Amino acid sequence: MVGPTTSLTPLSRADGSASYQCPATGANILGSVNAPIELPGRRDALKPEDATVEVFIKPGTAPGGVGERYVEGIIKSMLGRLVLGREKSYARRGIVVTLAIVGGESKPRGDSYLTVLPALLQTSLLALLSASVPLSMTFSATVLGVNTLGEIIREPAPTDAAAATSLHVLAFSSKGHLLLNESRGSFDFDTWERIRQRALTICHGTLSGSPDGDVAMVEDVDGQPLEGVVRETVEDKYHQDYAWKIDAA
Amino acid sequence: MSSPLILLPGDSVPSEYLPSSNSSAPLRLGPGLRLLSQPPSSSSSKTSTGHVLAATQSGILTTDPKRNAVSLLSTPNRRYVPTSNDLVIAQVHHSSPDYFHCLITPQTPQVVLGQLSFEGATKKTRPMLKQGDLVYARVLSTGLGAGAEVELTCVNPATGRAEPGGLGPLTGGMVFDVSTGMAARLMRASSSSAENQESVDGLVVLDELGKKLEKVGGFEIAVGRNGKVWVDCANGGDSAIKATVAIGRCLSAIDEHTLSLADQKKLVTRVLREMKIET
Repeated sequence: MVGPTTSLTPLSRADGSASYQCPATGANILGSVNAPIELPGRRDALKPEDATVEVFIKPGTAPGGVGERYVEGIIKSMLGRLVLGREKSYARRGIVVTLAIVGGESKPRGDSYLTVLPALLQTSLLALLSASVPLSMTFSATVLGVNTLGEIIREPAPTDAAAATSLHVLAFSSKGHLLLNESRGSFDFDTWERIRQRALTICHGTLSGSPDGDVAMVEDVDGQPLEGVVRETVEDKYHQDYAWKIDAA
Repeated sequence: MSSPLILLPGDSVPSEYLPSSNSSAPLRLGPGLRLLSQPPSSSSSKTSTGHVLAATQSGILTTDPKRNAVSLLSTPNRRYVPTSNDLVIAQVHHSSPDYFHCLITPQTPQVVLGQLSFEGATKKTRPMLKQGDLVYARVLSTGLGAGAEVELTCVNPATGRAEPGGLGPLTGGMVFDVSTGMAARLMRASSSSAENQESVDGLVVLDELGKKLEKVGGFEIAVGRNGKVWVDCANGGDSAIKATVAIGRCLSAIDEHTLSLADQKKLVTRVLREMKIET
């Protein structure tokens, strides 16, 4: 299983940015975060103690439409729960996340965004980390498809996704909470439970619970867990940026 | 610190990384860390108090045993957010009866600098700054909440003197943009004492430039935390402009590519040779 390709802070003018490329689904996303910024108008009066999260999705070929607004809503409500909007200098300010779909299969109009949604979520997380926006925890997201034989396909390619009976996007926090569950198609509870188990393994690795309750991340058939991909990307960036400090010590 | 501890949001700080609490001073938390009273999992309930330190940003954990402080070093190229007592280089945008309205970063609202907050300034003797003039100033207050004005000053209000030295209008010279992380490094490197001059924060570029440019009359430099560096070679004569540009090139090259100490020395020699400056 080839893992995603990520990079942190590819854009120099944004406060934080990230790019994310998922080889399986073909999604290629460039994301930027600007925070904290002054909001125009009186939007701040709605939540006087909290920061406002705004999400914009730019499709590669067509102008944004209803589909994009819907996915923006999903991402916005999920990020809004993770961002610590009451930290110093964030109250009444805006956190603007812009996600551009720069590559991958072009979607027909009206198609669901479920196959790209995990890539959009991962990009927004990396961009938020790069902008040093205070977060309560990190997360990882994946998409699983169930084909007509009842087999689970991890991160289905566009043709597989079109043929699948159901598609599921799940996101888990770094502490193991289920943060997001978006499904499409027909399925039963047993299938969903299998999906959840598999998604948890993809995001967090095989759970080898040690006696003190530690959850170790172990590699298995699914390759490196997505949680580890995020951590590795951030660590690489810090080792690169602070080479002068780390090498000297 | 052979392998630095890099934390992601939500990670708790292992207690063995905290400075040993033999001093009576309480532990100080820097930016990016918060104290949670509820341990998130059973593994951290070993701490007797039931408190856990959690990161809210990603960063390298750094501790200062002298001040009993712990903080997170965040990404070095983030946007500058004004904090009290920061030294910044501001550009005057326009003037009003009481204030100069200045820009410290291009995308944020203007900050104010009192017409009389200069050393020895009175209504008669205050500096007449025009649009585009540069000022080296200290952040006096940042205000509260959104839309609050940031105020700068060039004097210490208690003593009426420009301290630390050098605050006030910057005449001549040229400003270069660097990342905020690089600006912080330059400030630490120039403010540290002379005996550990070798490789303060991995920077020798200023010492090296100072040695090499003695012949053209040396140079003045002012570093603002907002990612601006002002360089002037007033005594340089013919090669003043060349030397100024050379210094700017060296600083931005080191900012872009992480260079070791030997590479920094090589870069200085190469840039000065390319600019045809006698050393």
